[in-house]
Amino acid sequence: MPRFRNKKKVPFVKPVAKKQQQQNVDHITGDRIPRSFVFSRGKLPGSLKQLQADLRKLMLPYTALKLKEKKRNNLKDFLNVAGPMGVTHFLMLSKTATAPYLRVAKTPQGPTLTFKIHEYSLAIDVARSQLRPRCPKDLFSNAPLIVLSGFGKEERHLSLVTTVFQNIFPAIDINTVKLSSCQRIVLLNYNKDTKLIDFRHFSIRLQPVGVSRRIRKFVQNHQVPNLKDLQDVSDFVTKAGYGSESEADDEAAHVSLPSDLGRVNRSTNKSAVKLQELGPRMSLQLIKIEEGLCTGGVMFSEYENSKGSKTQESVEEQNESDEDMEEEQIDSEEDVENDPIH
Amino acid sequence: MAEETQIQEGGNVPMKRRLGQKKGGKGKNKMKVYKGSGEKVKVNKKMQKIFRKRARDYNSDDSDEDEGDDSDEALPVSRNKKNQRREKEEEIEEKSSDDDGEDGEDKGGDFEESEDEHGEILPGITKFAKGCKAFRKAFNKITKKSVPDSVLGPVLSVHQKLIAEKLAEEEVERKVKGEVKKEKHIVGEKGHVQPPHNFLDTHEKFLIGIATKGVVKLFNAVNKAQSARKGLNPERTKDAKVIKKRRNAAFFSELGKKPNHSEASSKADGEGPSWAPLRDNFMLTNSKLKNWDKMQDTTVAEDSGMPTYSSSDDED
Repeated sequence: MPRFRNKKKVPFVKPVAKKQQQQNVDHITGDRIPRSFVFSRGKLPGSLKQLQADLRKLMLPYTALKLKEKKRNNLKDFLNVAGPMGVTHFLMLSKTATAPYLRVAKTPQGPTLTFKIHEYSLAIDVARSQLRPRCPKDLFSNAPLIVLSGFGKEERHLSLVTTVFQNIFPAIDINTVKLSSCQRIVLLNYNKDTKLIDFRHFSIRLQPVGVSRRIRKFVQNHQVPNLKDLQDVSDFVTKAGYGSESEADDEAAHVSLPSDLGRVNRSTNKSAVKLQELGPRMSLQLIKIEEGLCTGGVMFSEYENSKGSKTQESVEEQNESDEDMEEEQIDSEEDVENDPIH
Repeated sequence: MAEETQIQEGGNVPMKRRLGQKKGGKGKNKMKVYKGSGEKVKVNKKMQKIFRKRARDYNSDDSDEDEGDDSDEALPVSRNKKNQRREKEEEIEEKSSDDDGEDGEDKGGDFEESEDEHGEILPGITKFAKGCKAFRKAFNKITKKSVPDSVLGPVLSVHQKLIAEKLAEEEVERKVKGEVKKEKHIVGEKGHVQPPHNFLDTHEKFLIGIATKGVVKLFNAVNKAQSARKGLNPERTKDAKVIKKRRNAAFFSELGKKPNHSEASSKADGEGPSWAPLRDNFMLTNSKLKNWDKMQDTTVAEDSGMPTYSSSDDED
């Protein structure tokens, strides 16, 4: 019997795994890595499903590429999974009779931005439209850069959009970042006249300046060039290639690199930045901003825009500190809308 | 059931006789076919005999009608012979299943019959000729018939109208279905645009230009920041300080902004009380809150405020 007692004295302690926390943090900069889910609400037609797949690819590597959804999954299910997985953003695609919609939400509290997708082209459409679509192997192994342009700081809802989109991809620390990991770029351009946001996705390519295409290819490919048409070996070097070289000798696109990048791009030479579109392409219109995750008070709505801006101003004037007053304010806003005299 | 089938077989005998004359082996093939659809009706031997007898009787009647001229006297004799032979065969084929056995025997019997009758009157040949003529006539009649040139083609049914109606209905249904599908497809494809092939319009070029500008800016900033500390050893405190200073100076000069602008602006943005979530967002990028556990490492803590810039620097 005493033996049993002895055994009891040492209870089994389950080792606590602290992996989860480490996963969510970049090991170099220590920043929190934002992660995302891209999924659909409701049934989508085929082309939108493809768009969803493209968006997932765009969000790589910190996203669930093969996220399985079922018809009975609701938002709460995703939210429950999001917590332990460290997912910070939801991208939701939905479809109504009028147009498809994209909602970008921060978990778990929100806010939620609702965009109407006016036009979109899939990655495959973009690739089809190109003569030589480009897809190097490690293209999707790093997160894309994001460029936000034309948003300005004046309007609140736009600045909110910029902050949300800035935080959707991991931040770049310029002191430690490797330029070879900058392979893609996502561009969001706000057009003030049409109030549309152009969403584009490009791949970044660097080319040495002042080197003909032939030599560049020769260095890159390790292939024996065809010298059949040439009189002398020196012709291969001196003879310029086709006229395509002249297309983008744009000084503005030239950069010098801190270190060598690949076989062709040397730190001693200047390199030209060339972008090629990857897709998907979208033109979005900001419709609505909600406080919570697809719920809560409406902070901005496109369709009551004139009133909305007025009330925003009144909000600024009246209460600076009290958050509790907010809801009352919203109520009063609604009253104002109903009142024709105001 | 068994009886009925038996009788039918009996009725079919004259046809089979012709077959039997040409090739006796075909009977076996037919046996196999029959096996597949065979209903398993257990029949005793006695019952078998009775059935067979009935069949034979029926057969004889049938043949009487057909051949007419056959003398009644000759038949019984032949039948007796047949009976004897059949009984022998039965014994041989006891092993096989009931239905099959019967079928095979019937054929065998037919074969014998024809042999028997060969010697006497040769009724099979005349019958063959007759049948051939009739068949030819019938076939010619069918082939010569001019088919009405209708949409449906040659239909042997009386209810041509009905069929036509049905087909028309189906057509309409299919059309409606197709239209519905088309509509659904159009609704699903709403907003889906194919980019023009191998051609960039001005707007796309403009966007690419903006993106390129952003990339160039970032790359230059990275270049400045990273090449600044090339000659220095970051482990030495003296160098580290220099690195830090240079880095910040280079970076902020690159961006053309004041050093503390970022935090100020972020705070200003977050202050609006109705925009609480906005403030929450800035918690994410705020260096103090984010790197509370890394404060002892000064270089990292200093740098972490920059990422906001590197991504948002392209506003102008």
